Amino acid sequence: MEKTASRINDDLLRPVLETSPRFYLAVVLVGLVAALGFVAWGYQIWNGIGVAGISRPVFWGFYITNFVFWIGISHAGTLISAILRLANAGWRRPVTRCAEAITVFALMIGAMFPLIHLGRPWLAFWLFPYPNERGLWPNFRSPLLWDFFAINTYLLGSFLFLLLPMLPDFALVRDRARGWRQRVYGWLALGWEGTPRQWHRLETAMHIMAVLIIPVAVSVHSIVSFDFAMSPVPMWHSTIFAPYFVAGAIFSGLAALILAMALLRKLLHLEEYLRTEHFSNLGKLLLVMSLLWFYFIFAERLTVWYGNDPAEMAVFRATQSGPYAPLFWVMVFCNFLLPVPLLTIPRLRTIASTVVAALGVVVGMWLERFLIIVPALAHKFLPYSWGTYAPTWVEITITVATFAGMVLLYMLFAKLVPVISVWEWKVGRHPLAEQRAEISPAVAKTVAPEGSA
Amino acid sequence: MNAIYGVYAEPASAQRAVEGLRAAGLPETSLLVLSAEPWGEYEFGAYRRHSRMPWLAACGGFLGGVVGFALVAGTQQSWPLRTGGMPIVTLWSAGIITYEMTMLGAILATVLTLFVSSRLWPARQPRLTDPALADGFIVVGASEPPDHLRAEIERRLREAGSEGIKTVPGSAC
Amino acid sequence: MSRRWGMVVDLDRCTGCEACVVACRAENNVPTVGETEAARGRAIHWIRIERYWEGEFPNARIRFVPVLCQHCEAAPCEPVCPTYASYHTADGLNAQVYNRCIGTRYCANACPYTVRFFNFFHPVWEKPLHLQLNPEVSVREVGVMEKCTFCVQRIKAAELQAKAEARELRDGDVQPACAQACPADALLFGDLNDPDSRVAQLARSPRGSKLLEEVGTQPKITYLARLSWSGDGEDR
Repeated sequence: MEKTASRINDDLLRPVLETSPRFYLAVVLVGLVAALGFVAWGYQIWNGIGVAGISRPVFWGFYITNFVFWIGISHAGTLISAILRLANAGWRRPVTRCAEAITVFALMIGAMFPLIHLGRPWLAFWLFPYPNERGLWPNFRSPLLWDFFAINTYLLGSFLFLLLPMLPDFALVRDRARGWRQRVYGWLALGWEGTPRQWHRLETAMHIMAVLIIPVAVSVHSIVSFDFAMSPVPMWHSTIFAPYFVAGAIFSGLAALILAMALLRKLLHLEEYLRTEHFSNLGKLLLVMSLLWFYFIFAERLTVWYGNDPAEMAVFRATQSGPYAPLFWVMVFCNFLLPVPLLTIPRLRTIASTVVAALGVVVGMWLERFLIIVPALAHKFLPYSWGTYAPTWVEITITVATFAGMVLLYMLFAKLVPVISVWEWKVGRHPLAEQRAEISPAVAKTVAPEGSA
Repeated sequence: MNAIYGVYAEPASAQRAVEGLRAAGLPETSLLVLSAEPWGEYEFGAYRRHSRMPWLAACGGFLGGVVGFALVAGTQQSWPLRTGGMPIVTLWSAGIITYEMTMLGAILATVLTLFVSSRLWPARQPRLTDPALADGFIVVGASEPPDHLRAEIERRLREAGSEGIKTVPGSAC
Repeated sequence: MSRRWGMVVDLDRCTGCEACVVACRAENNVPTVGETEAARGRAIHWIRIERYWEGEFPNARIRFVPVLCQHCEAAPCEPVCPTYASYHTADGLNAQVYNRCIGTRYCANACPYTVRFFNFFHPVWEKPLHLQLNPEVSVREVGVMEKCTFCVQRIKAAELQAKAEARELRDGDVQPACAQACPADALLFGDLNDPDSRVAQLARSPRGSKLLEEVGTQPKITYLARLSWSGDGEDR
């Protein structure tokens, strides 16, 4: 049975308007874990970066792994949502906002890591291009500066991409709520009225933003890969890195999106909105990305193995059969052997198994980032300086805390904003939702009498 | 705002109301349509004028790109730190920052155009809201209606199937 | 004419005594990190003697390779630094400007020779060791990269001295601590742009090669190959 507008409002606005004590308890618990991360960070700043496990020659460890991982996760949202918007895929409607929120939060978390990992984080602002008393601008040829620009563009763009379609929903909350909510959401709604002109402008803006944000997203993870590919380090200095990183980013991002949607579905009782078809469609995308990931890693490894360069082979052997082999094969299992059968066989492709596959991919992709960074640094050209790496409690705490931070931000988001775009969902019920009268005015003429009958 | 309007459950009746108001001689600028969801597939909900937004986005992008390149080239040459005989401004690395700034410029121009052309800014109050809007009803009416047309507008709105006619300011009748 | 400081390392002469390592520490205020930290790979040696065992016992031989910053012409560490802390001076030194460094450690990753070192903690010189600090060399704080400077303080001092005596800098006026301490004269320092300097002459030797030349860094240190061992375990 089709749902009426008010029924949809009740379903989708309930989390915003009503809060159970369990929510506060969960916020406190997750918040405590996230706060531990700040304690660990403070400890590190006070005592020196040496409390982390990095050493010579492995100068980058968990922090940069987390940086690449979280920036990768951010590719779920805005990119997927923009592609689905442009393709006008109807099933995107309940998915886009949860996806875009992941992007914004994952970027915020990921962008913290370059600061956390600095030796002198109190001077981090020296990375920023601004006229300063030192008379010295940053070095724009450093890939870290490219990161600065790429991540800022992506973060700002994704935030606006998330914000714009929220305006009508803020207006909805404003019109339905009383008291402080009415004031706050009234302020946030920016005076949204819902005239045809506003709707048209909003949809045009979203269309342009979608076109713009896709190449930005691709560039962001390419530039993250350039951090590595620009250095003459065995198995980093590779032309395949940019597309390899982008594919991996979308892969891990999709997995994160599936996990987030499964949690929202369960906790907010959105079973009628986030349905099997959504998980099935995203599962198929995840399958494609899993195959693509395998293709990339095969192409990368084969080229190295066949080329048989001694320096590269040292890294190759360390990951394939050396000390990092257990992690490597767990990664292959999580990223390929586990998800492919689960997502290929239709009988197995249930919501539960899609979630299992997604969980595997998140773990596998984190390991992938680790295995790209650490073994290569540990086995550079001169064997005399080879080294090892083991994380300390500080790095582990901060890593765990960022996951808690992600959950916390997402919980607060789902509490403050309707996590499924209410107006877009309503449009999805329109019989001719994907058409526009301005494109074919005849449609309007033929539909009008039919409705009145 | 001074307005008179009806609320409609069906888009088809909203369409009839709009056509009725036009037949009554209401100028297009006074026509008021509000909805909590876009009805672009109906004539009453479609906005026909083409937006200049894509062009403004392109201009914003161009401006952003110029600023990006100028930032890189200008700052590096204002204090040339030549390291190891390597070029100070290279198209490859300046290109990346130029690209990102181009995109940022285009995105900001798009959003700014939206905010200005749709008259959106913080703490702005909407001219008119109606509790029925949230429940999926469509508001059709006239803003600042000429006094001599008031009765005619009311009749046309009722004829199109509105449950009740409301006026602002003032009580519903 | 501008100078281009370089070095020649004669592997035939190196005995692996590590006098250079000690001299460098004393000259450049290189901090000692302590046993536990050293075991974690955080010891700092601007110059190190790499030992490679060759052959099988009993025909095993040890090969010593002193490795320090190669002061590359095309140094991978320089362009990647976001704050210009890794910097190329006009006379070809690959310098580290400690005050600009914020500790991204990107340069250390980019360096193929792993000769850049990081201060993981604030360095301490327990009393009375602080009395032996060289006043000519700044000490580095936590979170800062450091590396071989070719004893830039000695280069500057020699240039000043030459200026005071109103003469050109002569070959051999500057000796970094490592070269000065080497009992076997395996390390030789000088101006590569002066074709008559000893270092320039030796750098042209057919025995000469560059470390990891294939990476394309154009190092300014030339290694002279070892001739005294044929490879079959017998000395010539």
